[in-house]
Amino acid sequence: MKILSKSNLVPFLEGLGLEFKVNAPLYEGQDVLFGDLDSSKLATDFIGKPRLSPKEYSFPQRERLFTFKNNGGVEIEAHLNETKRVIWGIRPCDLYGLKFLDMVYLSDYVDPYYQARRSNTILLGLNCNKAEESCFCSSIGTGPFAREAFDLLFTDLGDVFLVEIGSKAGKKLIEKQANLFTNATSKDEKQAGILEEKSKKTFKTYIDLGKVEAKIAGASSSPVWAEEAAKCILCGGCNWVCPTCYCFNIEDVTSGDKTQRVRYWDSCQLGGFTQMAAMNSRATQAERLRQRIYHKFSYNPDKYGGEIGCTGCGRCIDVCPAGINIAYILRRVAN
Amino acid sequence: MKRVLTTCEFCGCGCNFYLGVEDGKVVAIYPSVSHPISQGRLCIKGWQGHEYIHSPERLTTPLIKKGNRFREASWDEAYELIVDKFNQIRTRYENDSIAVFSSAKCTNEENYLMQKFARACLGTNNVDHCARLCHASTVVGLATTFGSGAMTNSINEIAGAEVIFIIGSNTTEQHPLIGDRVLRAIEKGAKVIVADPRETQLAKLCSLYLMHKPGSDVALLNGMMNAIIAEGLEDKEFIAERTEGFESLKETVADYTPEKSSAITSVPEEKIVEAARIYSRSKKSIIIYSMGITQHTTGVDNVMTTANLAMLTGNVGKEFTGVDPLRGQNNVQGACDVGALPNVFSGYQAVTDEKLRNKFEKAWKVTLPPQPGLTLVEMLNSALEGSLRAMYIMGENPMVSDPDINHVEKSLKALDFLVVQDIFLTETATLADVVLPGVSFAEKDGTFTSTERRIQRVRKAIEPLGDSKPDWKIITELSSRLGYRMDYSSPAEIMDEIAKLTPIYGGVSYSRLESFGLQWPCPSPDHPGTPYLHKGSFTRGLGKFSPADYKTPAELPSHDYPFVLTTGRVGFHYHTGTMTRKDWALEREYPTGYVEVNSQDAKQLGIKNGQTAKVISRRGEISLSLKSVDTIAKGVVFIPFHFAEAAANKLTAANLDPVAKIPEYKVCAVRLEKG
Repeated sequence: MKILSKSNLVPFLEGLGLEFKVNAPLYEGQDVLFGDLDSSKLATDFIGKPRLSPKEYSFPQRERLFTFKNNGGVEIEAHLNETKRVIWGIRPCDLYGLKFLDMVYLSDYVDPYYQARRSNTILLGLNCNKAEESCFCSSIGTGPFAREAFDLLFTDLGDVFLVEIGSKAGKKLIEKQANLFTNATSKDEKQAGILEEKSKKTFKTYIDLGKVEAKIAGASSSPVWAEEAAKCILCGGCNWVCPTCYCFNIEDVTSGDKTQRVRYWDSCQLGGFTQMAAMNSRATQAERLRQRIYHKFSYNPDKYGGEIGCTGCGRCIDVCPAGINIAYILRRVAN
Repeated sequence: MKRVLTTCEFCGCGCNFYLGVEDGKVVAIYPSVSHPISQGRLCIKGWQGHEYIHSPERLTTPLIKKGNRFREASWDEAYELIVDKFNQIRTRYENDSIAVFSSAKCTNEENYLMQKFARACLGTNNVDHCARLCHASTVVGLATTFGSGAMTNSINEIAGAEVIFIIGSNTTEQHPLIGDRVLRAIEKGAKVIVADPRETQLAKLCSLYLMHKPGSDVALLNGMMNAIIAEGLEDKEFIAERTEGFESLKETVADYTPEKSSAITSVPEEKIVEAARIYSRSKKSIIIYSMGITQHTTGVDNVMTTANLAMLTGNVGKEFTGVDPLRGQNNVQGACDVGALPNVFSGYQAVTDEKLRNKFEKAWKVTLPPQPGLTLVEMLNSALEGSLRAMYIMGENPMVSDPDINHVEKSLKALDFLVVQDIFLTETATLADVVLPGVSFAEKDGTFTSTERRIQRVRKAIEPLGDSKPDWKIITELSSRLGYRMDYSSPAEIMDEIAKLTPIYGGVSYSRLESFGLQWPCPSPDHPGTPYLHKGSFTRGLGKFSPADYKTPAELPSHDYPFVLTTGRVGFHYHTGTMTRKDWALEREYPTGYVEVNSQDAKQLGIKNGQTAKVISRRGEISLSLKSVDTIAKGVVFIPFHFAEAAANKLTAANLDPVAKIPEYKVCAVRLEKG
């Protein structure tokens, strides 16, 4: 464990900037969003999470996959993004989100576009000392302090950050700017433990994951699906902000003699979802809502060795214009 | 990635988001969390509807028509041709032989310049825009009763209301972030009453749903007022202190017993009485309405009647009470505010008022015409009659959006010269002699004014595509070439001029708009803006009860045309679809039009769900897929108007409200046949 004084954070990140593209949470007005490092906007003391997770650095909202044109034969140019990138300030929920996406995109079938981005990205986490209203990572077990899936992990101890090393790549970053770091003491580590306990007490949203897991299979005919789905205004927001939603649509965009194949985030809440396979197999909004929850809490764990497809970040609660609340639904399922 | 905070270009909610820009392209959207309306949320159009910005179909160079085809042209060529033609027409005929359509999609600055161009450069008040087609009746009706034709509340007040009476608004689909506030109010225990000929999403979630006949709004509202007065539920103190004309209202509504109201509206008597009780018993009641109220030959009557109901119960002029017309387009409120209307300058200052006209003459250094100009539908009629010879249409697509498209087409074709300025070669642009490429909201600076009167910044995120130019720039260049110089270095400078000449915008400047804008009236630089209107007294002093009797719609069902057609939108598309239909996600949801028919009617017609139906009116016919539903009354059919290939407006009639001149999109007679 290392210590980095807060005044050394910007020099450290700017130092990384010599070798990497550095992304971090930034204040845009009063909003916090991940962006290209700008030390005048750097957000280190924000509570909760940036509106979107850093998922989009590996799986962008809109990604050009390749361009092709017909010039006698077919000429194809792939657009693999191999930018060397460090992302600082990733919350534990979002670290888990990336771990989950890695399972999806880098296991059975390796997605080359995702792999090109992800394998060139180093993840620097930032533990949460306080939860937002919608946060429920403590119920899922992904936070408020991270245990895995980071290269370095920062804990705000007040004047300094405690820095935990999670990988060789992370260690190397420290070694390159070793003069900025000092060794942590057991006192520092103890303080981090106290902060974690304190942080856990700040949560306002809870679910009983054990009960959810036990009961979800039998909850398919619960009235909760239709009741909640009746409010859905079909914005897709719950999918767009989700750190683990990985569904996409592919479109060909032709301009002149060139066609770009573009991949976009897609939403399972829309009627047109999976239309390329004829239709959305879930005919009603209630079934679509149920699918979203089942996918995360039943199908994903079945497929990925018990790993839940929900990070507990609560973004889908904040983003919903209809007030559809995943935690409320899960509590209904559990009971 | 660069991030640029801006205001959404679709509806009047006025949400803010960041455009994520990479390599000069908009590639991502981030809702603003701290914005008072968005609060980190958006609808599907806000999240997904911006693909059109980089569509290969964007116009990137001026076009001049040669024979039946367009050829690419330079700006100089295009301008010279327009100047020649406009000058010829102006020499041969009078100034009023040219008219301009301004645009509720464009910024305040552009609309201000467009009306200035019409008045100061062309010397005509022939300037109008699509507000004529959506809320002209609001502008007139609420100005008559309250003195100001705008939403009285702030959007966030809706979440704090105890009773929300929604009439003629499919709020969750058409104003999703206002729908958000209604849903939040319901969660907090508010009672919501929905009156609509279609059982909308909110109709299913509300406390009381009234399925009234299209066009029977005055009878319904008068029936409610009759019940309120009969049970002594009116606010006597408010009526005495804040209003005038109560006796005449009382007299008019006395005739509308629940029994009579029920007979006209098809709403059961007890529901009318219940609605009256729920609405009047709360002191935090808000009325929300939209096109269902305004788009009628009785549009002004409908609007005034909603205002009467609010005044009768004292539910206006205080927080969480009011009358809220929801403006459709992103900047339809602003386009009206800055004078893109034939009878008023910016700030609703009448062109017929000599003192006001003198003010503008002095500022603009030109003599201005004193007579109000033609309204939108009147312009088209005049074109067909021959008194109007040329038109300059910016960012509107009347060939899909206006009633009776066959008539629109004849009218536009009858013109000597047509200029269309747009970002796409729309159905209207294809009829033009010259097409000028404007830009999308992502390529320019400016302001939009949302439905809650919030003037907000639009910020340039990317460079104009190809040779296209910001619309404000095009207007200034054209005006200067026509001999009336317009020199502005930026939209901020245009806003400074607006502020100087427009009392309700008097305190507005770009520096003050940085943190999510200002709500007008904002008369001076130190004024904080106005969250809700008519506090203490109405803009006109006393609120004026303006009773109206029920009048039937202009075209009623008959033996040959037995169904009432009502038109509207779906949540996934916007107006004539020029933008939203370029987007894969939106287009995938609704790739084309459909006709919604009551399942019993469909059965009787022998047309199954998904089969093609031919819908025929006295003016035209279209073929489209039938959707059999139980959420619409028998005898009523609904068609969304977005789709040019199945254009609902081939069927609609240009029957106008006598005062507001708004067409009756919500009622015309049709018959259905197997297609």
